[in-house]
Amino acid sequence: MTRSSNTSEPWRVGVLFSRSGFMAVIEETQFRGTLTAIEEINAAGGVNGRPIEPICYDPGSEASAFGRYAKKLMVEDGVSTIFGCYTSSSRKAVLPVVERLNGLLWYPTLYEGFEFSPNVIYTGATPNQNSVELCRVLMQTYGTRFYFIGSDYIYPRESNRIMRELIRNSGGSVVGESYVNMGAKRAEFLPVMREVKRAQPDVIFSTVVGDGTVYLYQAYAELGLNPKMMPIASLTTTEAEIRAMGHDVGEGHITAAPYFQGIGNERNSTFVRHYQKRYGEDEPTNMCLEASYFQVNVFAKTLEQTGSMDTEILRSSVMGSEFEAPQGDVVINPIWGHADLWTRIGRANRQGQFDLVYESPSCVRSDPYLLGYGRSLRQRSLELT
Amino acid sequence: MQETVDMRNGRDKIGQAGAPRRDGGVFTQSSSSSATKSLWDLKVAVIVDRDDDGERLVRELQRLRCQVHHEWPIPPQIPVHYDAVFCTLSADLPQRLPWIPGEPGAALVVIDRGDSPLDLKLLHNCAAHGVLHYPTTTRSVQAVLSLARSHFLYERRLRGRIDKLDESLRTMRSVERAKSLLMRVKNITEEEAYNYLRRQAMERRVTIGAVASAIVDSYDLLS
Repeated sequence: MTRSSNTSEPWRVGVLFSRSGFMAVIEETQFRGTLTAIEEINAAGGVNGRPIEPICYDPGSEASAFGRYAKKLMVEDGVSTIFGCYTSSSRKAVLPVVERLNGLLWYPTLYEGFEFSPNVIYTGATPNQNSVELCRVLMQTYGTRFYFIGSDYIYPRESNRIMRELIRNSGGSVVGESYVNMGAKRAEFLPVMREVKRAQPDVIFSTVVGDGTVYLYQAYAELGLNPKMMPIASLTTTEAEIRAMGHDVGEGHITAAPYFQGIGNERNSTFVRHYQKRYGEDEPTNMCLEASYFQVNVFAKTLEQTGSMDTEILRSSVMGSEFEAPQGDVVINPIWGHADLWTRIGRANRQGQFDLVYESPSCVRSDPYLLGYGRSLRQRSLELT
Repeated sequence: MQETVDMRNGRDKIGQAGAPRRDGGVFTQSSSSSATKSLWDLKVAVIVDRDDDGERLVRELQRLRCQVHHEWPIPPQIPVHYDAVFCTLSADLPQRLPWIPGEPGAALVVIDRGDSPLDLKLLHNCAAHGVLHYPTTTRSVQAVLSLARSHFLYERRLRGRIDKLDESLRTMRSVERAKSLLMRVKNITEEEAYNYLRRQAMERRVTIGAVASAIVDSYDLLS
């Protein structure tokens, strides 16, 4: 693998995103983000003169299939680097494989934190990079009574646990909590929404993912509720989901994310232009797509220096490295292997884009175990230092 | 072809099998230590050709008082529900394993027949716990089974420990929060609050984390 540089043999990497099933709505965009980056790199001559060759499988939104395909990639295809996974259940299915065979999973999705594997580079946000600030903004703007709705799996349960802690410590309360099954049907969301309407919270905090997101916001609109008074706030509802539910349905709702398509900088404009040229003018970008895109570039930049796909060498080289991502400058945190990312809070507008409500002055250090932030939101400035 | 060989038949053959070899039964017999005993009654699947080496392997395992299940040729999927699996190394063995690497269902010993170049990548991909080279000896079978078994168990213990640590990190937060709630509501010291949690956990026979979560949750509902 390490060998000479005078070969034109491609660098083979694995790509695992669901392009079918109830998670395809977002994972398809991560798939595209990954391929866009690879195509760009290859068009510019590859890495040290060798192209990157993606080997892609579609696990069909089924967590155990992620584990099986990870094994197939590493054992049959001889791949050691894998880009993939959206849900925490799928990441946890891949984890034993990359840990035992010493592979490297690049995970471009926000998640609930409280994990550290030497075989994963995490490029999505952890709670200190989204939940903490989101909670503060929501309480200041809308009120202190929250209602939790989530898909029933690890990420929503753990995120809600953290959110509950933040709310309680700042004098707010959680007035209700409901979970729907992964891949729940449209009809299951109306009764939940009616329950919310009865409870009259100030904010609905949603950790529903996949197709369920669309049904949830549509059920909200159907009941004629007003996002100006009682918005749905989310860490996962991106431009992709807003487009799928309809711009009018999404308008006025809140999302915390390191990246929105609408952030104004030259790097992002180029990225968006390039992406839309490839996939269509009306195709929005989103935070998961952006993370998928920049992590491939971080990988390529690292590979250029190491000239080796060996996990130990790649990992030790990528730790602490900086990269200019569309969201701004990011760093792969040398302690945790989680990316230091920007914190942004946006409100969806009629064009299916997000207007910025809050933006951190620089990237926020990742703190997956929430060690550094204070108990109440007043101490939040600590994590920015 | 499949057959399960009763271990007692095997033990009758101890004399004939071990006698000609210097490293034979003589030494093993003398040491029926607890380490040897820990191999007794292990359910072992043996997936080898029943040639001389295969026969010898089965006999050695029976001599160790394992419950041996023999199978040949290699089935499309290696059987589950065994404590250990001895399987001839083949290029597609990783695909035939019913588990994903990192979550093995049994201690795996791959058998290198020595008739082709050793493929280290293949060995890595099998994530085996041991390798047995032909021709086998009493010592090598005993050593590889014992080590493979202990590696397998050690790995499992470590995984369990990590799961517990992850869980503890999360529950520690609940315990901290429950403690500060109790201190405020009941107007007691930190130590008293902790003792209260511990007492409740012992009385209800649940973890301290469960008590803490219950307190935190119910406080949320009350307020």
